[in-house]
Amino acid sequence: MGKVAATIKIMPEGVETDLKELEENIKAAVPEGAEFYTAEEKPIAFGIKALMVVVMVGDLEGGTEKVEDAFQKVPGVESIQVVEVGRPI
Amino acid sequence: MAQKPHMNLAVIGHIDHGKSTLVGRLMFETGAIPEHLIEKYKNEAREKGKESFAFAWVMDSLKEERERGITIDIAHKRFDTDKYYFTIVDCPGHRDFVKNMITGASQADAAVLVVAGTDGVMAQTKEHVFLSRTLGINQLIIAVNKMDDTQYSEEKFNKVKEDVSQLLGMVGFKASEIPFIPISAYVGDNISKKSDNTPWYNGETILEALDNLKQPEVPDNLPLRVPVQDAYTISGIGTVPVGRVETGVMKKGDKVTFMPTGASGEVKTIEMHHEEANEARPGDNIGWNVRGVGKSDVRRGDVCGESKNPPTVAEEFTAQIVVLQHPSAITVGYTPVFHCHTAQTACTFMSLDKKLDPKSGQVKEENPTFIKAGDAAIITVKPTRPMVIEPVKEIPHLGRFAIRDMGMTIAAGMCMSVKQKE
Repeated sequence: MGKVAATIKIMPEGVETDLKELEENIKAAVPEGAEFYTAEEKPIAFGIKALMVVVMVGDLEGGTEKVEDAFQKVPGVESIQVVEVGRPI
Repeated sequence: MAQKPHMNLAVIGHIDHGKSTLVGRLMFETGAIPEHLIEKYKNEAREKGKESFAFAWVMDSLKEERERGITIDIAHKRFDTDKYYFTIVDCPGHRDFVKNMITGASQADAAVLVVAGTDGVMAQTKEHVFLSRTLGINQLIIAVNKMDDTQYSEEKFNKVKEDVSQLLGMVGFKASEIPFIPISAYVGDNISKKSDNTPWYNGETILEALDNLKQPEVPDNLPLRVPVQDAYTISGIGTVPVGRVETGVMKKGDKVTFMPTGASGEVKTIEMHHEEANEARPGDNIGWNVRGVGKSDVRRGDVCGESKNPPTVAEEFTAQIVVLQHPSAITVGYTPVFHCHTAQTACTFMSLDKKLDPKSGQVKEENPTFIKAGDAAIITVKPTRPMVIEPVKEIPHLGRFAIRDMGMTIAAGMCMSVKQKE
């Protein structure tokens, strides 16, 4: 089975959201069949930071849907957007 | 030294036609894989008596490292040619990822279509050629791969070239302007230098063809469009929408309007990477603040544009779609969710206007009673609530969409015309 590296931009609820805690909660929410890879804070504007998360999923039916649904429910998440998908080396 | 211009390069084609091998080969030959790793793996290969398979050995070893979680930046594959710096958009195989490719940030500027010389045109070859049109990719290079498995047969190459040319012509590509290159990604023929195995071929190598691509135009001369990802309330500042500039330029002091709400005002501040900026250009991720626009005036999926040329809100629109998968038949009244820029809106199929032959793009049937997986069609659609969409010919970035239902990507499409909401 092929794998896909999905880069997901996670926007927090507000500037006061603790991104370290958010990252831990995101890690814990990764659904079965997907694998957490990296997370990085990315400054956007006016103190708002996005959490850029790379997750590996199977090149299978449903795509990034399960991961998106799971992350959307994590406390502190305002919105998520898959900004990139690609097959890793 | 001035930085080389950047391009996003998609690698498309049927499963097992050698997409990954070509990507690996390109990185290998352009020095994108760290030298010390190559040396290390080459030595290993030599010790094991597999020197002639050094390339395959390096690829396998990198894969193992990745699986053990210790390698490089896996999500980004980059390499340089003499003229450009490329990021590879290595398309997943499953159709459910088409949504991500349409709404994602990295629009491909060009594509390499990989077709195995052994198999020729297959189902996914056709689908990918059609999709690359929908995704707005206008420059193609055709890599006829696995030539080593055909004993470098000129005849096989010409047959594939003929079949692919026909397919390209049918969706509106000019095959005569597109390079066809006989390669073996595995052996390394015609990648960075002309191969002795194909004496009958006098054209470009893959790297030369990549250098001959036209530099993509930055869409900064189009009207301003910034789809809103989220809106925040920041103390001392007020309402701050965040999003990515798709087209046009936003400057401090500009009069802007958010649609569909219609809220307008003057841009007070723009920030990116937490620093104040006087203007924002296509590709910039920004937060901005507009005088007089409150939190209730702006939502995810809204689009910000110049007040003198505001984003178009559709009463109805016509679209060309290709149905990727659907368990049964799609008829008038079907109301799935359209994913377009940052908006997700349920839209109703009002009429099925034409069924197209996906191979030729020619009209196969007027006013069909249903369409199903594999069909391409022109349809008329009505959003169930106000939504911004633009004809792909005018603002390509806001004219493409994916249709989702039942957890599947049903179709991909582009907006052809819009009946504006009064």
